[in-house]
Amino acid sequence: MNKLKKRYVPFMKAGVQALVVYRMNFLGFVIGGLIYCFVMFYLWRAVFESNGGGLFMGFSMTDMVVFLFLSNTTNQLTFSSVCDNIGEEIRDGSISMRLIKPVNTDLSYLFSELGTALMKMVVLLLPMLLGLEIYRFCVTGTVMFNGVQFLLYLFSCVLAYVISFRVNLCFGFMAFYVKNLWGISILKNSVFNFLSGSLIPLAFMPEGLRLCLEYMPFASMSYTPVMIYMGKYSAEETALRIGIQVVWALLLYGLSKLVWFRAVKKLCVQGG
Amino acid sequence: MIYAEHLRKEFKKTIKEPGLKGSFKALFRPKKEIVVAAEDISFHVPKGEILGFIGPNGAGKSTVIKMLTGILTPTSGECRINGHIPQNDRKKYVREIGVVFGQRTQLWWDLPLQETYLVLKEIYEVEEESFKKRMAFLNEVLELDSFIKSPVRTLSLGQRMRADIAASMLHSPKVLFLDEPTIGLDVVVKDKIRQAIMKINKEEQTTVILTTHDISDIELLCDRIVMIDKGKNVYDGSLQKLRENYGQIRELHFETDPESPLTEEQFRQGLPLKESELTIEQDKQTFKVRFNSAAIPVGDMLSHTLSVTRVKDITVRDADVEEIIRRLYQEGGQADE
Amino acid sequence: MRRAWKIYRLLASQNLKRLMEYKADFLTGAISFLIDQAIGIAFIFIIFSQIPQLSGFTLEQIVFIYGFSQIPKGLDHLLADNLWCVGYFIVRKGDFDKYLTRPINPLFHVIAETFQIDAVGELVVGISLIAYAAPQAGLQLSVVSVLLFILVIPFASLIYTSLKIMTAALAFWIKSSGFIIQMVYGMNEFAKYPTTIYSMPVRIFVTYIIPFAFTGYYPALFLLTGENPWFNIGGVVLISAVLFILSLLIWNKGLKAYESAGA
Repeated sequence: MNKLKKRYVPFMKAGVQALVVYRMNFLGFVIGGLIYCFVMFYLWRAVFESNGGGLFMGFSMTDMVVFLFLSNTTNQLTFSSVCDNIGEEIRDGSISMRLIKPVNTDLSYLFSELGTALMKMVVLLLPMLLGLEIYRFCVTGTVMFNGVQFLLYLFSCVLAYVISFRVNLCFGFMAFYVKNLWGISILKNSVFNFLSGSLIPLAFMPEGLRLCLEYMPFASMSYTPVMIYMGKYSAEETALRIGIQVVWALLLYGLSKLVWFRAVKKLCVQGG
Repeated sequence: MIYAEHLRKEFKKTIKEPGLKGSFKALFRPKKEIVVAAEDISFHVPKGEILGFIGPNGAGKSTVIKMLTGILTPTSGECRINGHIPQNDRKKYVREIGVVFGQRTQLWWDLPLQETYLVLKEIYEVEEESFKKRMAFLNEVLELDSFIKSPVRTLSLGQRMRADIAASMLHSPKVLFLDEPTIGLDVVVKDKIRQAIMKINKEEQTTVILTTHDISDIELLCDRIVMIDKGKNVYDGSLQKLRENYGQIRELHFETDPESPLTEEQFRQGLPLKESELTIEQDKQTFKVRFNSAAIPVGDMLSHTLSVTRVKDITVRDADVEEIIRRLYQEGGQADE
Repeated sequence: MRRAWKIYRLLASQNLKRLMEYKADFLTGAISFLIDQAIGIAFIFIIFSQIPQLSGFTLEQIVFIYGFSQIPKGLDHLLADNLWCVGYFIVRKGDFDKYLTRPINPLFHVIAETFQIDAVGELVVGISLIAYAAPQAGLQLSVVSVLLFILVIPFASLIYTSLKIMTAALAFWIKSSGFIIQMVYGMNEFAKYPTTIYSMPVRIFVTYIIPFAFTGYYPALFLLTGENPWFNIGGVVLISAVLFILSLLIWNKGLKAYESAGA
C-alpha cells in the first residue's frame, strides 16, 4: 500500500496541477456545459408550459432542473479524458515513454485523473448541490436533501467513473486504426450523452428503447447516480441498478485489459 | 541593404513558482515580469554578403531575425531592408525575402513536395516561365528530383531542409534568412546545403543572413560575423579580423610523467600572466593550457613547462575559431572594449 | 480579388487531395457530425410526441428553425474551421510565423488553408430538415422572400466567422484562447430554438450581445411569418457587417502584439 502510494501519488499531483495549468480551458468547459444546461432549461420550461404545467411523464419542472444540472455536473465528474490522452500518445509515439516506467500503465492514467476528479468534486459538485438544494427549498418550501441518497449517489458515481474510464480506455486504442480522433471524440461524446440518458431522461424514451438502454453500460455512467440522488428509485431498484454498475465495471475492466494486451503487442510490432 | 538600428524587444512573461503552492499563487495573483529578449542590436549588411549571425542560446538571435522578417514588431528601434520597414508594408516586403526556420517547416505535410511549390508559385505570383526556370535551377543546386514526388512527411531531415530552402527561394528573394539551416544534419548533408547556399549567393547576389551554432558553417560560408549576447552586440567584423585579434591564443597540450606529479598551482607559479590570459584544464597527467602568446612567447612557455615537470609528450597549436568564439561568449560584453 | 479566388481554390484543392489520402478520416468526421445532429433532432421528436405545440410553434416549424440554423453554422464550419486552431495552438506554438512571411493577408491565408469537409454533416442535416418541414410549416413564400432568405445565409455565416475571428485573435495576447472560442461558440445552442422561450435578459443577450439569434431564429421566422423583414433580415446584414469590421480591427491589433514562441 505504501509502495502504491509512493509510486502513484506523483501522478495524482500532476493531475491536480494539470487542472490548475489548464484552468482556463476547464473554466470554458464548465461554462460551456452551463450554457447548454440553460438552453435546455428554457426549452423544458417551454415544454412544461405548453403541456399546461404540472407533471410531464412523471417529472415536475423542479425535478427537471435538478436532473439537467446534476446530470451535467455528474458527467463532468465521471468524464474521463483517457481516450484523448492515450490516443494522442499513441499517435505521437510518447506512449512508449509510459511503457518503460516501472508502473502499471492504466493505474498511472487512473491516478492522474483521480487528482482532477477530486478537484472537480470540490469546485464543481459541492457548489452545484448546494445551489440545487437551495433552489428546491425555495420552490417546495421543504428540505429535500437526503443523506443516504447522497452517499449512495457518491458510491454510484465512483462506479460510474470506473465504467467511463474503462470505456474510454478502449476507445483510446482506436487511435491505432483511425487517425481522425477528433471526429471519434465528438461522435463518442454525443452518442454517450444520448444513450446515457443525460440529454433526455431515459424515462421519456419509448418503452423498448428505454429497457434496452437501462441495461447498457451508458446508463451506468451518469443516469443511475442522478436518479439515485433524486430519489427516483425504490430501495430494491437502487440495489439492482448498482448491481448492474458493478457487473459492467468488472466486464469492462476485463475488456480493457484484453484490448490493452493486444495493443501493446501491436506497439511492439510497429516499433512504437 | 539591411539596416538594423537599436532594435529592442520586450516580452511580458508570467512567472510561476514551482510546486502546487506556486500553481495556486499563479491562479490568483499571477506575477508578470518584463523580459528583454533584445536590448540594443544594431548592424548593417551590404548587398550580396553572407552574414553569420551568432551568439549563445538565449542571446536573442531568433528574436532579431523575427523582427527583421516582420513577424515581431520591435518595442523600439528600427530596421529597414531594401528601403522597407517590415512591419509597415509587410505584404510588399515579404515578396523580397525568403525565410527558413530550421526547426519548422513551411511545406504541406501530407502532400507530395511538388504540390507545395505549386501553391507557393501562386502565392508569390511567379510566372509560369520563370517558375520552370527556377525549379530547374533549384533542382540542380539542391537535388530535389529524387524526392519531389514523395509526401513531405516521408522525407528525411536533410531532404526536408533542402526542400524548405528551395521553397524559400522560389520567388527569387533578394534576402535570404536562414535560422539554423544545418541543425541536426549529418556531415555530408551539411556540406551539400553549404554548397547550395554558396552557389545561390554567388549566382544571384542574394544577401544571406545565417544563424548557426555550427562553427564550420561560419568558417566556410560567412564573409562577416555579427555576434550578440544577452541582447547586445558583442562583435561585428570579419572572421579574419577576429582571428587576428584573438588569434594570439595558443594551446599547449602535454602529458606528465607519472613519477613527476604536477598541480595547477605549481604550473601557474612564476608565469608572468594575468588570470584571463591563462586557462588550465587538468585530467590526471594530461594538461591543456591556453595562453596568450603576446604576453609570453611560445618558447618561454615551453621552457617553463620543461622546468617544472618531466613531460612524456608535448604539442603546441593555434586556437581554432571555435575556441575564439567560446572565449568571446565567456567574456560577453567586455570583448570589444 | 481574382488572385484571392485562385489561391483559395488552389488551397482548397490541396485540402481535398489530402482528404483523398485519408478517406476513412473524412467519413468518420462527417458521420460523427451527422449523428451528433440526428441526436439533437431525436430530442425534438421525443418532446413533440408528448405535446402538440411549443410556445405556439408546431413540430414542423420548430424543425424548420432548427434545420435553418444549421446551415450558416455548417458553412462557417466548412470554410473557417482553422480559426479554432489559431486559438488553440497555432499562436501558442509559434506556427503563426509562417503566415506572416507570405505576401498574402494572414487572415485570408489561415482561413483558406482549411476546407473542413466534416461540416457536410451539418449541411446535409440542415437541408434535409428544411426539405422535410417546409411543406407543412406554413411558409410565407414569394419570390422576394425566398431570395431574401437565400441571400441572408452568407451574412448569418459571417456572424459565426466574425465571432470566431475576434475570440481567436485574443490568442495573440494571451497565447491560447481556445476556451474563449469554445465558450462564445457554444452559445449557438440558443439559435436553434425560438427566442420566445427564453427570459428577457437571455433574449437580449442572444439578440444584441452574442447575436446568434440572427443566425437561426430571426431569419427563419421571416420565412414563417413574412413579418418584420427589416429586423429579421436587415438585422442579420447589419449585425454581421458590424461584427466583421470589429473582428478585423481586433485581429489587426492582435497581429502587432504577436510574440511568436521560443524567444
